[in-house]
Amino acid sequence: MITTTLAIAAGTMLVMAVVLSFILGWANKKFKVEIDPKIEAVIDILPGVNCGGCGYLGCSDYAVAIVTDNDPVNKCTVGGEACARGLADIMGVEVGEMVKLFAVVNCGAHTSDRLKTHEYRGEKRCASAHLVAGVQGCTFGCLGFGDCVRACHYDAMHIVDGLATVDFNNCIGCGACSKVCPRSIITITGFMADKIPTVTCSNKDKAKDAKAVCKTACVGCKACTKLSDLFSITNNLSTYDHAAYTEEHYETALKAIEKCPTNCIHFIGKSLGK
Amino acid sequence: MIYLLDLMLIALTAALINNFVLYYFVGICPFVGVSRKVEMAFGMGLAVTFVISIAAFISWSITTMVLIPGAPLSSFIAGFFLPEESAAAIDLTILSYIVYIFAIASSVQFVEMYVRKFFPQLYSSFGVFLPLITTNCAILFACLTIMSHVVGVENPQDAWDLGRAITLAFFGGIGFTIAIVIMSGIREELELCDIPEPFQDAAITLIIGGILAIAFMGFTGVDSGIREALIP
Repeated sequence: MITTTLAIAAGTMLVMAVVLSFILGWANKKFKVEIDPKIEAVIDILPGVNCGGCGYLGCSDYAVAIVTDNDPVNKCTVGGEACARGLADIMGVEVGEMVKLFAVVNCGAHTSDRLKTHEYRGEKRCASAHLVAGVQGCTFGCLGFGDCVRACHYDAMHIVDGLATVDFNNCIGCGACSKVCPRSIITITGFMADKIPTVTCSNKDKAKDAKAVCKTACVGCKACTKLSDLFSITNNLSTYDHAAYTEEHYETALKAIEKCPTNCIHFIGKSLGK
Repeated sequence: MIYLLDLMLIALTAALINNFVLYYFVGICPFVGVSRKVEMAFGMGLAVTFVISIAAFISWSITTMVLIPGAPLSSFIAGFFLPEESAAAIDLTILSYIVYIFAIASSVQFVEMYVRKFFPQLYSSFGVFLPLITTNCAILFACLTIMSHVVGVENPQDAWDLGRAITLAFFGGIGFTIAIVIMSGIREELELCDIPEPFQDAAITLIIGGILAIAFMGFTGVDSGIREALIP
């Protein structure tokens, strides 16, 4: 009796295993999805951090775009040049120009520079503080509640004295911070050198209004445009043409920094070299 | 007529009154994990409903055909080696758990292949959660509930047939979908709320799940009331 029970129990499991594996094996053949072997090779080369810096959801989405839509191979800022070379080898194309991308915060006002701060009792997030008028006087600048810090997966964004500050040693230029910033003051910028000059202000108000709220606001005085062609003033705000920057512009940029009456032009980038 | 009414009552009970998630508290992991967005929650609910129905079909068939004492298949095979009486007494219900898990795992695998082939969009939005249905306790719970109505029933006529089993499983899945969609709707609103730090994320979700369960307690007794009123 007991042996028969055991034998039938074992037989049941065996038959189930055989039948189910046959069904699954059949389904595996029937429902097979053809995957281009190139896609797998591309996925292997991509860094696999799924940061979304290339504009796709993750590395595998970008891999599909490279292989099927012939997307450029140089969009991955994390893998950098080596990664782009490997991808170009697989796809048989030329590597485009590689520029290292970093997040740049276009605001330079620390707590002491802000002239009209008010107590804010709402949720400590930039997204909600942005909805309330007058959290701080400047309606363009950094709110300092750190939505970008929470968005960053690479420990590259910190609030230093009320201002979002990029750690260029950790930043990979994925753009997660610039997407969450409700005031859109974080831009992903191509660095032509280790350090580049930039205008750390986003205030488009007239000089009088800008000066009333912030010590380091750009007032649109055009002092910098006289020294270097790469500065241009639109809407009372100076902007720097980062894409045209070369080592030659270093001296003129340095002069512009000295000349700026409100100290809103700075060299930014990794702390080594120039 | 009474059979149809019975099916209706089983359906109502499984979907609302004894909701798997909010009454028995099974299947909490996807309930918390995939309830961030309504569309994803709805997709997860449908996938669970599908898998739970297939698993119920397989497990009911195996239970009645092989596992219970006097099951046709096992007693037929045992009849070659044993006298008729002891052949009919062979009880394989000890195998139930392992057989059910077997059935669930392979039907999930099957569903995954199918979805991957014909609904690639849905497949990529599910991500890791589709294989995770395998370990969803709601499905094993449905199988075990069906088994409790088949094995050890005193009166053989009261044992559940295939129709009742699949009705329970299917509407249990629908109940799961209802619960997870309600939850995801609340959680979408919750994104805009100022939640105190200790309660953020999973904590507030579980608290809301508890409040929802209290709300669903209001259905208790509806089934026995209907049964008394309609079935003499």
